[in-house]
Amino acid sequence: MQEVIDIALNVSLVIHLVLIGFALWRVWYGENAIDRLIAVDLTGTLILAVLVIVTLREQQGLYLDVAMGLAALGFTGTVLLGKYFADQRLS
Amino acid sequence: MELLFQLIVLLAVVTGTLFSIIGVMGMIRLPDVYTRLHAVGKVSVFGVVLLLVAAKTLGAVDFGKSILLVVFLVIAGPTLTHSLAAAAYRMGIPVRQAVRNDLAVKFPPAAPPEVQRLLENGAGPDDGDETRLDRESPDREDDEGETEVHRRDA
Repeated sequence: MQEVIDIALNVSLVIHLVLIGFALWRVWYGENAIDRLIAVDLTGTLILAVLVIVTLREQQGLYLDVAMGLAALGFTGTVLLGKYFADQRLS
Repeated sequence: MELLFQLIVLLAVVTGTLFSIIGVMGMIRLPDVYTRLHAVGKVSVFGVVLLLVAAKTLGAVDFGKSILLVVFLVIAGPTLTHSLAAAAYRMGIPVRQAVRNDLAVKFPPAAPPEVQRLLENGAGPDDGDETRLDRESPDREDDEGETEVHRRDA
């Protein structure tokens, strides 16, 4: 059973890396600023998923701290950039 | 019991990966900023949260840390989607037609039968009857069907 879980985790890791590639393609070929911002946020979320999968594979809780910091900083940055694009100011 | 936990881990990993694939496919295929926001929310709330459930079930991480991250993701996902949709609307990004009528090629969309009868009789909608839509007086209950026609036409 453990072998099946290991195979599933490896396949899921590869799939998430390919999906990060698609999200970066969308960042490059986006239609407008909000579209690219959505793609950047999607990239951050997928990197978060990759960190959680690495946590599962390596059985170490250290990667989850990195994931928490990445989630908080990505959320703050995306919301602030959305407000800046809408209002042309940050306050 | 160990086998049950491993089955839960396997199911959560497979389902989270499928939700991530669906979210990225929606990001690529959907025609609009707002519909793409709808697709991207799936990756954040279902994909990562199910992977965290798998990590918590396998006992790889602390309980409180993963619960904190799950609560943060569930709160932050709708907030971020709302923020980006409001920003897109304030920037004036247009809404595209997200629903395509495939049957309209073969069967063109027809008016309801009451409206068709009115059109054949030459009685088009006139402006005088528009005030009858928002009346509440019970003394004109006899022409209920005609009011229904005008309400559907409006």
